[in-house]
Amino acid sequence: MASRSREWLAIAAVVAVGLVLSFAVTERYHHRVLTLVFLWATMGLAWNIISGYAGQISFGHQAFFGIGAYVTVLLAAKLKITPWLGMLGGVGVAVLAAVLIGTPTFRLAGIYFGLATLAYPLIFRIVMDYLGYQEVAIPMMREQPGLFMQFSEPRYFDLLALGILAATLVLSRIIETSRLGYSLRAIKENEQAAEAMGVDSFRCKMIAYMLSAAPAAVAGAVYAHAILFVVTPEAVFGVLVIVQTLTVCLVGGAGTLWGPIIGAAIMIPVSEILDTTVGDRLPGIQGVVYGAALMAVMMYAPEGLYWRVRSMILARTRRSVGAARPAPTAAEVHATTPAVPAGARSVLMDVRGISKSFLGLQALSDVSFDVREGEILGIIGPNGAGKTTLFNVLNGFLLAEHGEVHWLGKSITGLQPHVICRLGIGRTFQVMRLFPHLTVLENVMVGAFAHGASPDRARVSSLAALDLVGLADRADVVPTGLTTLELRLMELARCLATRPRLILLDEPLAGLSTDGVELMALMIRRARAAGVTVAIIEHTIHALVRLADRLVVLDQGRRLAEGLPGEVTRTPAVIEAYLGTRWLARHGAPQHAEDLRP
Amino acid sequence: MLKISGLSVSYGGLHALEDVSLEVAEGEFVTIVGPNGAGKTTLMKAVSGSIRGATGRLEFRGRDMTSLPAHQRAALGIAHVPEGRRIFSSLTVLENLELGSYRRAARAKRAEGLEAVLALFPVLRERRQQLAGSLSGGEQQMVALGRGLMAQPDLLLLDEPSQGLGPRVVEQTFETIDRIRKSRRLTILLVEQRVVEALELCDRGYVLETGRVALEGAHDALLADPRVQRAYLGV
Repeated sequence: MASRSREWLAIAAVVAVGLVLSFAVTERYHHRVLTLVFLWATMGLAWNIISGYAGQISFGHQAFFGIGAYVTVLLAAKLKITPWLGMLGGVGVAVLAAVLIGTPTFRLAGIYFGLATLAYPLIFRIVMDYLGYQEVAIPMMREQPGLFMQFSEPRYFDLLALGILAATLVLSRIIETSRLGYSLRAIKENEQAAEAMGVDSFRCKMIAYMLSAAPAAVAGAVYAHAILFVVTPEAVFGVLVIVQTLTVCLVGGAGTLWGPIIGAAIMIPVSEILDTTVGDRLPGIQGVVYGAALMAVMMYAPEGLYWRVRSMILARTRRSVGAARPAPTAAEVHATTPAVPAGARSVLMDVRGISKSFLGLQALSDVSFDVREGEILGIIGPNGAGKTTLFNVLNGFLLAEHGEVHWLGKSITGLQPHVICRLGIGRTFQVMRLFPHLTVLENVMVGAFAHGASPDRARVSSLAALDLVGLADRADVVPTGLTTLELRLMELARCLATRPRLILLDEPLAGLSTDGVELMALMIRRARAAGVTVAIIEHTIHALVRLADRLVVLDQGRRLAEGLPGEVTRTPAVIEAYLGTRWLARHGAPQHAEDLRP
Repeated sequence: MLKISGLSVSYGGLHALEDVSLEVAEGEFVTIVGPNGAGKTTLMKAVSGSIRGATGRLEFRGRDMTSLPAHQRAALGIAHVPEGRRIFSSLTVLENLELGSYRRAARAKRAEGLEAVLALFPVLRERRQQLAGSLSGGEQQMVALGRGLMAQPDLLLLDEPSQGLGPRVVEQTFETIDRIRKSRRLTILLVEQRVVEALELCDRGYVLETGRVALEGAHDALLADPRVQRAYLGV
């Protein structure tokens, strides 16, 4: 793909510009500004890996910055170990700290992760104070300045900082294009949906956290040698470190490697220059500038400059591509149901005696049924019947209090959603859970990663899935412009890309027009013809009566009836559940379908 | 009194209502039944103005109100008792009821309106200083109904008043609606899932099925019509 090599060229261009600047600049002070730009861009990129890509906002990333600085400097001061090696020690300790911090905190959802990360730099500060490291000076090594990172020529610090920036850019780019990168972005957009697509979210977040701790530690070590000379807890674990990092990322834009570069290139020089020109008359001008810039960004480009500019450009180009597209028609005749009688098919999933309650409300009580290979099973029931709860139990989001789910004869009760997905059980959601910043193709690719495909193979199999549902020509747009029908088809494709043997579809027909229902039903039949077994939840029986081979009716958490659609809709208990006792008393259960003809 | 023509509503591409037309005459009691997801609540919201972006035409007493915001429709005399009651649970019963008489025409008659509502629901008189959230489901429904009546409306929109109530309370609720109907000159548009109970009360009914009007007719004709069942069960 052209865009992929273009990104590498852009990285090379950034490094080239950095090189030119560091040789063009002559003043010592300007070198310092340049070093700071590179260092804060690196720090921003490090933060961006866990918070930008994976959406796990870390307010304590200075913990790793400080660890890098302290470990490197202490190793040099106490053991005379060169910082070039010491840095590696710093990275090692930082990555270990990431594991220790991540293990308990990644179990916390949303804002609580961020709040928990706030605590760690505070802890490290106290520990450093306690150990008596309130001030650690870098020992002067006049004989071997190069070996101890003590350059008298400031250009070398530029180059060193540029080097780690380049390495972090490359690391970020590799993450962006890897399975991990897609998985992280999927987790950021919707962790539950990602899990259901087979993404092991805990593992992915942990890897990302470790990868983002490493550059932060290196940046801390270089900062100590290039700028500080005396390391104090305040300077490396202090709140200003994370404020600078956040500012750089939020102004430039998180979730892309260009954001921190743009943010650092703008914010660092502006605040430094203001600080030296008017700083003596207006002390604290730096903080004011950061505050004002953040407010301006929040108001006019809340996603950051990169995304603002990008969406402006995309909006211009999309107008020419958008609109006019012939909708796929339901021309294909309804695929015939396989001639195998339902009873003769082998059992794929066996659901036995599932019960689940929420705060005393019995959502499911003793629900049993089986799903047979190759069938389309409809699960219907009025609102509140427990249908979605049932799916959540089947795909591992919820743990039932009683009962077992067997898959191909083995119990899958209590397994994680991503494990269940990898066993071959895919699902879609009632409220569509799409990843809005990924293209349609990339959305589907997240599903394809479930079975361990490389990005290239995932792309191929995802295009095939899009083709199956008739959405191949929408592959490269972002899903926000799609119609409800197209979104539902995309979700179906994403689910099919996980290579399931069984798909659980949660109200795939809700809110579609009559034509949309027809088309969706056609695609579901197509998926079945391709060898996928289907279980569908709906609250209206209409469409399912014609689509499903068998129906299971739930009402108030109980299985009310099961059987062929024609039989089920004539069951008195079903009529009662939908129309009430008194209707049943008036009309009785119809004996033949003819009774219902006008 | 109320004339809806060609009303369509979609939520981000989801079609909730498609080309619905119906009429409610002055003093009439009209019921709309239909299964879950048929668009009943959306229809009520479109009439009261609590959702925007509907296409089609809404007329109230011959006046086009399609583009009027919700508070101006309320001022015309339309009161909406929403699904799920939506009472202010941290306010007292009395405060809830008084908030109903916000509309200028009702404010003047607040005292007598309150007296009438408390006469209709004696239990609310006993509990008037209690927090509304501490009431039972049936009593909360009374508060919601009473709040709607405090607005001295000419058209009362009732959205699933039986929802989430036990069988005996449901019966009482329908009896209350019948009493309200008989005690004052009021036009009522009721949305219900309980087919028989709702159709028995009303003059005329509509059956809504996946966003369209599937059937309409006098209440006894619909009660005897097996096609109603088809709207619910598909066959």
